[in-house]
Amino acid sequence: MAASKDQKFFEILKPGTDIDFIGQRRTWILASIVASLLVVGVLFLNAFVLKDRGKPLNWGIDFRGGTEIIVEFNKPVEAGQIREAMAAAGHSGAEVVKYGATVGKGGDHRQYLIRMGAVSVVSQEQAKKAESAMAKVGDASLRRFEWSEGGDKVYLRFDRHVEADKVAAALKAAGITTTQVQVFGRPDDNNFEATLVGLDTEVKRALDARLGGDSAKIDRVESVGAKAGKQLQLDGLRALFGAIVLIVIYVAFRFDFRYGPPTIVALLHDGFMTVGAFALTYREFTLTTLAALLTIIGYSMNDTIVVFDRIRENAAKYRDRRFDRVVNQSINETLSRTILTSATTFTVTLCMNIFGTGVIRDFAFAMNVGIIVGTYSSIFVASPLLIWLNDKYVASQKRAQARAPRQARQPVRQTRRDEDEEQAEKT
Amino acid sequence: MERSWWWKAVLYGAVSILSCLYLVPSVIPEEKRPAFFNQYFSKRIQKGLDLQGGLHLVYEVNIEKAVAAKVDRLSGDIEEQLGKKGVKEVGVSREGRDDIVLTFKNPADAAKLDEELLAQFRAELDEVERDAAAGRVRLRYDSDKVAEVEDLALRQAIETIRGRVDKFGVAEPTIIKKGTDIVVELPGRHDFERIKALIGRTAQLEFKIVDDGSEYMKKVVATVPKDGPITTEPDSWTAKDSGRPHEDVYLRSKDRAALEKFVAGLSGDLAVPPDREFGYEEVAPRDGTGDAAPDRYWRTYLLKKRAVVTGEYLADATEEWDEMQRPQVGFTMNRQGASLMEKLTSENVGRKMAIVLDEKINSAPVIESTIGERGRITMGGYGDPFRLQQEVKDLVAVLRSGALPAPLKKSVETLVGPTLGEDAVRKAMFSMLVGAAGVIIFMLIYYRLSGLIANVSMTMNVLFMLAILAGFEASLTLPGIAGLVLTVGMAVDANIIIYERIREELRLGKSPRTAVDAGFQRAFWTVFDSHVTNFVAGVVLYSYGSGPIRGFAVTLLVGIVTNLFTSVWMSRWMFDLMVSRRRATAATLSI
Repeated sequence: MAASKDQKFFEILKPGTDIDFIGQRRTWILASIVASLLVVGVLFLNAFVLKDRGKPLNWGIDFRGGTEIIVEFNKPVEAGQIREAMAAAGHSGAEVVKYGATVGKGGDHRQYLIRMGAVSVVSQEQAKKAESAMAKVGDASLRRFEWSEGGDKVYLRFDRHVEADKVAAALKAAGITTTQVQVFGRPDDNNFEATLVGLDTEVKRALDARLGGDSAKIDRVESVGAKAGKQLQLDGLRALFGAIVLIVIYVAFRFDFRYGPPTIVALLHDGFMTVGAFALTYREFTLTTLAALLTIIGYSMNDTIVVFDRIRENAAKYRDRRFDRVVNQSINETLSRTILTSATTFTVTLCMNIFGTGVIRDFAFAMNVGIIVGTYSSIFVASPLLIWLNDKYVASQKRAQARAPRQARQPVRQTRRDEDEEQAEKT
Repeated sequence: MERSWWWKAVLYGAVSILSCLYLVPSVIPEEKRPAFFNQYFSKRIQKGLDLQGGLHLVYEVNIEKAVAAKVDRLSGDIEEQLGKKGVKEVGVSREGRDDIVLTFKNPADAAKLDEELLAQFRAELDEVERDAAAGRVRLRYDSDKVAEVEDLALRQAIETIRGRVDKFGVAEPTIIKKGTDIVVELPGRHDFERIKALIGRTAQLEFKIVDDGSEYMKKVVATVPKDGPITTEPDSWTAKDSGRPHEDVYLRSKDRAALEKFVAGLSGDLAVPPDREFGYEEVAPRDGTGDAAPDRYWRTYLLKKRAVVTGEYLADATEEWDEMQRPQVGFTMNRQGASLMEKLTSENVGRKMAIVLDEKINSAPVIESTIGERGRITMGGYGDPFRLQQEVKDLVAVLRSGALPAPLKKSVETLVGPTLGEDAVRKAMFSMLVGAAGVIIFMLIYYRLSGLIANVSMTMNVLFMLAILAGFEASLTLPGIAGLVLTVGMAVDANIIIYERIREELRLGKSPRTAVDAGFQRAFWTVFDSHVTNFVAGVVLYSYGSGPIRGFAVTLLVGIVTNLFTSVWMSRWMFDLMVSRRRATAATLSI
């Protein structure tokens, strides 16, 4: 039964569009290459040229190690005051930034994020100073003072018996506050394990001392040891690599060798561009950003697959046409699909970016970039590459034929066609 | 309507109702639910730490320190032994973590460090090189032992932490092993500084004598209130060799806190003597299958405070079998430990010796005879041999890890106050509603009735997703909510792909029925492919991430599966309603 002429659709993109995407494909590929080089350039600038940046990407403490404390005060406070308090406590390098919404008309701010590289209340010099200060506790001489960078414990060894509380008191006098000191190992070893107080407790004490009373409230503390940070970095790279490999395997399985590589290149391109956005804006690159990156890698395949499926279908249907025309037609046919699916996901993540806070907002920003780049890449990166690969394949087929004996030689076609067509021809 | 349509309707209806029921516990608090309901539907979605506030810690086992400490001790022992053989001038130092280098001032003395002497340390030290001319010998701590200890230390640390956390009454703590790290999650608000200090502490293994039959205990026992949680029991045994009977009396309760409170309240002439202390043992008779049985209780022991022998004097502990093939624990003391143990046991034959790990008594066997270098602990009672073997294994693990205490090193800490989480959730939920509203309105305008179908399937998608999360008792974290929002956006993608295809088929002149069939059929593989790639990304994220990121991966994965189900099958079913045989004559499709 034929469709009625009354069948109407609400359309934004009318069918039968014939925008020439392919004609300018050299330009688009060039643009992508230039963009990639720009990203490399920005990374380089960040690392070596821009003084206030210093690293290619603004690694969060998840990867860098360090401590982040979100403090809320019961009265308006200036960042400068906080910095003074931190310096007085021995943390002069601490970064202090505003966090959360600004309250009231005067723009008074009550919530701040304090970021520092330290993870432990004891720094290198403090440890050295304490060691010499503790040389003698009562009658006992200090034999060994062990402290590891970023550790939460100090180990002391004396040459004779000493009471644990005396050790704790001596440590306090030397500037190291402990929550407990206990005997470690054999009693006659005179070994002690001292657990250090937390950094957040010390910060709160410093802030209260400076700003009065119990004005500081710790909302959140995140502390990552340097070793753990490095491990997360390594694991992150492994995860990215693993995801890409798995997707490559799946693509090789579902598509033939001509459709596969362009999809992978588009995928890598999307990931790289997203990283570039973070390099450019120097937004914090945290675990959440990495999660978004992995999601983008999976999602970027979506529109590429939509377009490529159509290309395959059309290539089989329109054997007489040139391949690049087929590709162009396929892109035009799937245009509304590609744009609409990207637009819906983009709208949703845009809402998250606008209305969300903290971790949700960072994630949404990454997704926004990834979606735009992903749509761009299926049309302007993956398809041109596909045509290029196809041309190379057809050319190599022709060369193979030219070398074949006269009788078996097929007449060389004027137009370019797919391998499928030639196979169909021969049978 | 065809029969199959009605069957599908029943199926989808049932699944939807079931999902709603599954979600009830997460939404309505326990009190308002009827009792019979709770029997079947009690699982709920947990709030992740970043939403409800709490403490998240990751500890590494500091095996370096443990081995270094042990090697230090061994070098001290060797130095002492050499001293006994008349070697006065020898430099003994630890090199790196595992090596002991002995430099003899008089090279000839190196010969004194011979087979006989080294035999004592055979289990732990291997000779690596000997330079007789220079008078230098290098010994190394056995590497297999190191690996074994690390594994044991991890397991024991988890048990120890669990015990310590229990003391604080933290609701639903999570303590798990992740690779060579221990992850601890404590939700809620507590005195985290104290908790951190307590759980980070290195556990000590001590051997203390039980002061049985004392007058003091009898006095204390008389004051126990009759109807309280604490009961008193007598304990009697006979020393095997001497045949002398021993009697003791102890306090017993299901709740350790009750016992502790009672003990803390003892004062005046009932106050605990300065050289004594109370120890607690959890008696958990294991049932036939080897699991800890529910009727466990706590009991007290009155101990002598001073622990002359501690875990570091232990050289090894193993499972053994006696003449009657019954499992028991065999342990070996090192040189110094042997003499200390000999002294201790000879003075206390017939009494019980409590093995205390981290202030919790693991076992209190009777000292049958003087123990020197080698000792044996028999598990009392004639029970199921499998059960006894479990107990033996447990005790061996305790002794071994106590012999080489490996300190915990904190590597990651996240402390979240509750207010920050609430605020973020509210904003996230709001953005989800706005986004969803936008998508819904768009779908209605662009695809009309088909858009409505897509919206319904999207709603069902979210419903099923949440129900599955509740079924897994999954933790919802802030990134997890982001995953939820993302799924809402991706949910309509599949529908759009299918609908555009249907539109194309209609433009070609096909009837609504054929167009719908063709659309779903042709578009299926495209939809499937895109879901698979997202799924792969989700799986990788799950294995890589922990905590909040894992929460995101879970919502993503579940969302992908439910999405496939609702967008393809449920939508199709709804479409069948639109293009059923009865309406086959309709010429247009609302799409």
